[in-house]
Amino acid sequence: MATLSIKGVRKSFGAVEVLKTIDIELEDGGFLVLLGPSGCGKSTLLSIIAGLEPSSGGDVIIGERNVNDVHPKDRNIAMVFQSYALYPTMPVRRNIGFGLEMRKVPAAERDAAVQRAAELLQIEHLLDRKPGQLSGGQRQRVAMGRAIVRDPDLFLFDEPLSNLDAKLRVEMRTEIKRLHDRLGTSIVYVTHDQIEAMTLGTKVAVMKGGVIQQIADPQTIYEKPANMFVAGFIGSPTMNFLSGTLERSGGTIVLRHGEALLALPGLEQDVGAHIGKSVVAGIRPETFHPGEGQGTLTGTVDVVEPTGPDTMVILSIGGQLLTARLGSRDRPKLGDTMTLAVDTAAINLFDPDTGDRI
Amino acid sequence: MSRGRAMAALPPPRSTWDAINPLRLLGELSETRYWMYLLLLPSALLITAIVLFPTVYGFQLSFTEMRLNRPAGNGAFVGLKHYQRMLADPIFWLSLRNTAVWVTFSIVIEFVVGLVAALALNRNLPGGKILAVLILVPYFLPNVVAGNMWALMLDSRVGVINDILVRIGLLHEYKAWFADPNTAMATAIFVEAWHSFPFFTLLIMAGLKGIPADLYKAADIDGAGAFAQLRLITLPMLRTIIAAAVILRVIGLVNSPDLLLILTQGGPGRSTQVLSLYAFQNAYSDFNFGYAGALSVVMFVLLMLFAWAYIRLSKVNQD
Ligand SMILES: Nc1ncnc2c1ncn2[C@@H]1O[C@H](COP(=O)(O)OP(=O)(O)O)[C@@H](O)[C@H]1O
Ligand SMILES: [Mg+2]
Repeated sequence: MATLSIKGVRKSFGAVEVLKTIDIELEDGGFLVLLGPSGCGKSTLLSIIAGLEPSSGGDVIIGERNVNDVHPKDRNIAMVFQSYALYPTMPVRRNIGFGLEMRKVPAAERDAAVQRAAELLQIEHLLDRKPGQLSGGQRQRVAMGRAIVRDPDLFLFDEPLSNLDAKLRVEMRTEIKRLHDRLGTSIVYVTHDQIEAMTLGTKVAVMKGGVIQQIADPQTIYEKPANMFVAGFIGSPTMNFLSGTLERSGGTIVLRHGEALLALPGLEQDVGAHIGKSVVAGIRPETFHPGEGQGTLTGTVDVVEPTGPDTMVILSIGGQLLTARLGSRDRPKLGDTMTLAVDTAAINLFDPDTGDRI
Repeated sequence: MSRGRAMAALPPPRSTWDAINPLRLLGELSETRYWMYLLLLPSALLITAIVLFPTVYGFQLSFTEMRLNRPAGNGAFVGLKHYQRMLADPIFWLSLRNTAVWVTFSIVIEFVVGLVAALALNRNLPGGKILAVLILVPYFLPNVVAGNMWALMLDSRVGVINDILVRIGLLHEYKAWFADPNTAMATAIFVEAWHSFPFFTLLIMAGLKGIPADLYKAADIDGAGAFAQLRLITLPMLRTIIAAAVILRVIGLVNSPDLLLILTQGGPGRSTQVLSLYAFQNAYSDFNFGYAGALSVVMFVLLMLFAWAYIRLSKVNQD
């Protein structure tokens, strides 16, 4: 187990700057998720942590040790690849034990370690098969076995679940969480799936274009996104962005969107400097409720999408479409006028010019 | 669309013409499983004509008297006569031994040099693309050109190789490489290896492209060094392609006399006499096609045995 510090890490491929000054601190036993769209540099950062790719600048510190010039095999890390990268010509047993074999661990000790890992992952019956004879989920488990058998300081996972079908993905997600709780080893986990990030991470770093947009615990990322990119990337259905002008009306602050007025009592943000200016209000679909409240919005029902547990209602308010997640029994008719109360304390206001949270 | 539906709605027309209309019969045949065989027929005929027939003819020849310079008795069935003669023929046994030396050393050198070149070119070093083309050049030269070129370069009077070796002091005087029984075979193997190692380079490079980069990353983290990665990842992953390359190359080495024909004609003495050359000389110097046919059949059988054993031993058919 160890802490991880990434200090000012940069990376360029030729003239293309892929990572721009990355700073991350991960506590001992923490679970860091690198989250972002494809091509934002997550795998590159993970490769730099692993030592598979040299950085163009900055420091990687695992535990107390600066590992900039340390070979991957000596960093005491283990990695699970998106492709699993199992050695096709070796049986599962040798695949899992390969790192120990290369480190000249005696065969008896090695076999015992492989056995323990296999039991933990429930793959004992697969030990004598070749990777080609395994299903995707089984390969995934073998890849995890290969990682945990070495008892490393740090696990690195690069989109380990993205090649699995939806059901298996959820199962393995739970399994990874259980494994982390049990082993207590620090993990860096790359994904583009926001649900994985929210469910697994103790810390989530949202990346875009080689820059960390926000790094915080999942709840903060969800409730107080640092900018509109983070706000829109997390949550499904995505956050509604309602543009308007801030006004002060009596004691309360009000957002004016055309004819519509939304009172914003209980707003946490300090918006004094933005009165009279345009802002964007980020409203999550689940903060809407049918009926009256302190802040309300009225619009016409445009689309109704029942999903089973919920009903997604898309309202047109002054020409702008907002999605509300309502209960399964709330089934308004198309074209109805509907008034919804908003949990205004959950609203985030953004500066429309910079996209940053005010 | 609507036309199709209108046609489908009509009952199928029945008339005498319909019963014998070839297009319609063909259409009906195409719905049956016999269609498959009909489609395979042209290529089956072609293969029979150009592969099967000559092979069978070659076998048949080996049991026949066929001497073009002694037409009497030609075409007569002589049973195992040629094979019996072969067993007692010291030149046959010498050729067999020389063939083994020729093939073994050539293939080992070509494989090792080809592998090293492929691994080097696969590292994407600057200038690698140009180097890749240059390395492949020897293989594009016809045997005749390569053979004559080296014969000239190794010539005992005007050869540039002799000149260089004497200048750097490795040789005292010009040497007739192909005139000395002690150096003729080794020199011929050198020329052969020079000519054909790119064949391995080419195939191995193609194979290397198919090995996922993640495997090497995983091996780096697992602590496998360069040699362990070569032994435990690269070579096992290339097993099939190497097997194919070796078998193809061995067939070429066993069957083609052209390079040795140009360089040594089997000499000096019989120090570079190999089976293919012996068969060739029997056919085209002595015009004894029956005996040459028998020699070819032996080569054919040996090659089949080799390919079978190699595939078994290299476990290509596993997983
Ligand atoms: N070896 C490389 N050479 C050049 N560009 C690369 C290389 N590897 C990655 N890139 C580029 O770096 C960017 C980030 O890649 P990557 O880290 O794989 O993204 P992610 O894992 O977030 O999808 C991409 O634009 C990609 O094209
Ligand atoms: Mg990636």
